[in-house]
Amino acid sequence: MRFLGMVLSGALAFGGLWAAAAQAQSEGPLRIEITEGVIEPLPFALPVFEAETGDAGGLAAQISQVVSADLSGTGLFREIPANAFISQVSSFAAPVQYADWKAINAQALITGAVSVQGNQLAVKFRLYDVFSGAEMGDGLQFTGTTEGWRRMAHKVADAVYSRITGEGGYFDSRVVYVSETGGKDARQKRLALMDYDGANVQYLTDSSAIVLAPRFSPSGDRVLYTSYETGFPRIYVLDVGSVQRRELESQEGTMSFAPRFAPDGQNIVFSLSQGGNTDIWAMNVGGGGATRLTSAPSIETAPSFSPDGSQIVFESDRSGSQQLYIMPAGGGEAQRISFGPGRYGTPVWSPRGDLIAFTKQNSGRFHIGVMRTDGSEERLLTASFLDEGPTWAPNGRVIMFTRETQGEGGRSSLYSVDISGRNLRPVRTPEGGSDPSWSPLLQ
Amino acid sequence: MHTGHYISGAGHLALIGWLVFGDVFAAEPLPFEATAVSVISGAEYAAMVAAGQAPQSTTEVAQPSSPEVTPDAPEIAATEDTVNDQSMPAPAETPSVEEAPDVTQIEPLPRAEVSDEAPVLPEPPADVAVLVPEVSDTPVPEAAERVAPEAVAQPDPEATPDPVEQEAVAPDEAGETPQEPAEATAPEAAATEIVTEAERPSAVPNTSARPPARRPDAPVQTAQPAETEEPDPPASETPAPEPEEDPVAAALAEALSGENTPSSAPSTPQGPPLTAGEKDTLRVAVQACWNVGSLSTDALNTTVVVSVAMSQDGKPVTSSIRMTSSSGGTEQAARQAFEAARRAIIRCGARGFELPVEKYSQWQDIEMTFNPERMRIK
Repeated sequence: MRFLGMVLSGALAFGGLWAAAAQAQSEGPLRIEITEGVIEPLPFALPVFEAETGDAGGLAAQISQVVSADLSGTGLFREIPANAFISQVSSFAAPVQYADWKAINAQALITGAVSVQGNQLAVKFRLYDVFSGAEMGDGLQFTGTTEGWRRMAHKVADAVYSRITGEGGYFDSRVVYVSETGGKDARQKRLALMDYDGANVQYLTDSSAIVLAPRFSPSGDRVLYTSYETGFPRIYVLDVGSVQRRELESQEGTMSFAPRFAPDGQNIVFSLSQGGNTDIWAMNVGGGGATRLTSAPSIETAPSFSPDGSQIVFESDRSGSQQLYIMPAGGGEAQRISFGPGRYGTPVWSPRGDLIAFTKQNSGRFHIGVMRTDGSEERLLTASFLDEGPTWAPNGRVIMFTRETQGEGGRSSLYSVDISGRNLRPVRTPEGGSDPSWSPLLQ
Repeated sequence: MHTGHYISGAGHLALIGWLVFGDVFAAEPLPFEATAVSVISGAEYAAMVAAGQAPQSTTEVAQPSSPEVTPDAPEIAATEDTVNDQSMPAPAETPSVEEAPDVTQIEPLPRAEVSDEAPVLPEPPADVAVLVPEVSDTPVPEAAERVAPEAVAQPDPEATPDPVEQEAVAPDEAGETPQEPAEATAPEAAATEIVTEAERPSAVPNTSARPPARRPDAPVQTAQPAETEEPDPPASETPAPEPEEDPVAAALAEALSGENTPSSAPSTPQGPPLTAGEKDTLRVAVQACWNVGSLSTDALNTTVVVSVAMSQDGKPVTSSIRMTSSSGGTEQAARQAFEAARRAIIRCGARGFELPVEKYSQWQDIEMTFNPERMRIK
């Protein structure tokens, strides 16, 4: 009987506690957890920027167009066509009728104004979160010359992109690449520089000698590249501002290629082929002091620094097939990071430091892919007859690469893709293009 | 003392009695039908099967005449290749790397009085029918650009993209219940995860199709045209279902009409709690508008808890949306994640969430945890 009493009293006590807990829980707010969302472009409205001076109308329209193209080209945003607008933005200072923009599902609204005085151009803009009915950050104004209107448009787009996504932009940047003309058997190559979107192409070399693999310096003011001007591959450094170039020191009877700057902008790593063996070397770009970083009898090439300059990723066939390895920046024991089927090459470390982009050849097809720096989470983003040579956008979210089509008339061209594998699109260049290298954001 | 024995004995007696006399109460077996079967020889069976076979199809249908093909090749205008300028570029043309534009902040605008009422939309122009070729050049369907928890097929092209799906409603003059006309809406086509070009099936076939077998010579006689089934008549448009009126909900709504703020609601929850299904309905409604596509990597690593007060018509009170807490990311990442969450609540709550009004006290305050963990590698 005593035992039965203890059991009953215990049960009553437990029931009381449970009821109290349930009561306490029911008094709080309703709680739900959202774990699944959607991934789709964010709709934005961009009425043509207001022309504040009489002669600014043309530039206002052009700048609006470039800003819109920049944002839409990311695949993260979708422009709402102007003919869907319910109300127009008559003045930059006029209050925003949020309900009109909500009705057409515009989640972001960008308004702007352009004024021209002589050669001076001023562009200002505001960004609104329509559904919150509030401005996202303060308005911003850029001033410069009318010749630099595209840069100012890119800067507006960078600011909008950054405020919405929380990441740095990449529109105010340039790409150096190898411009190609002629058939596969008589192809002429020269270095070219363009805005990230293919505009403002300018040539840095003539096509008298084959040039390969241009690489921007971390500050974007110089370009390393390989030229066959002497009949052997040699490394040159070219000043982008003056287009003056200089051959780096090299040893007689050797071939130097695949150079890349260290993050400090003073040192470079490159491949040096001597006596049938190719290894990775480092040297000061000012000259002298070349040191050997690898000494295996296999082929080691395509080195790329980590953003902090402490490590180098490169490709090697020391295991019998072409794979990716990581070693300390000063040389030493290398660790293999690629283990999938096929061959891996041209690794490039992301500016964020979290991923490595690479070219992969498997089952007769080429891919551009990304993997973690320890080789995990490999993802193939593209597949075609020939994809190679990835380069990272300054914000580490987009990759540009070379795609070559099959056949006698095969043509090389540049493509870009988001690191998620979405938004694969060609980059328009006046001629064929290959070997792109993305600059950092311009200052 | 022997009660147990008596009970056991009685039970055993009853069991023995049932075993002995149980058949007395058995029912008659169910009647069954017997069918007479005759045995036939193999030859008889073959003859019977042959008689039942369909006649060989004839291909005496007159072959369509081949279209006339003109063998002449089209003339191609010969043009000389243009030679690109390969000269050394002049240094003066180099881009100015250089003068960075001045950046100045603009003074914030004074807040203006803004009415937030929906405008009256002008009557849209009538639809124009456009004939679209049925054959597509694309051999492999492209994956939908939108990624959602559940795959969504390509919607009706006339449907307006909207997270909430609804059929078009046309006012019926003869109907007893007046209905407001509404456009058809449907969510955009979606896949459940991102499909990269590498994962997409190649448009190039792996094997070539076997050539068709040689057709038998056409007999002279003309075959009777085969009867074809009449196509089903187009299904008549089903009338829009009349909304079921819940008397309790209607009475409550009427009593509470005009109250758009939760201030008059009881302060403590009363009545039965929301069922799991009702909570799921709310969760699904919010996640349909939670777009993480434009979030940074840091924001995709950030979980935010957002509190929102609800009005009795199921709409969120926009000014009440607050971030209660965040975890896993920087302050800036949390802000981005919160803004995406807030947009989701406001967008999909604009028409009011489907919540039982009689349980309003249970959902007048909601705390939503937005956890993007499963959205990182979509």
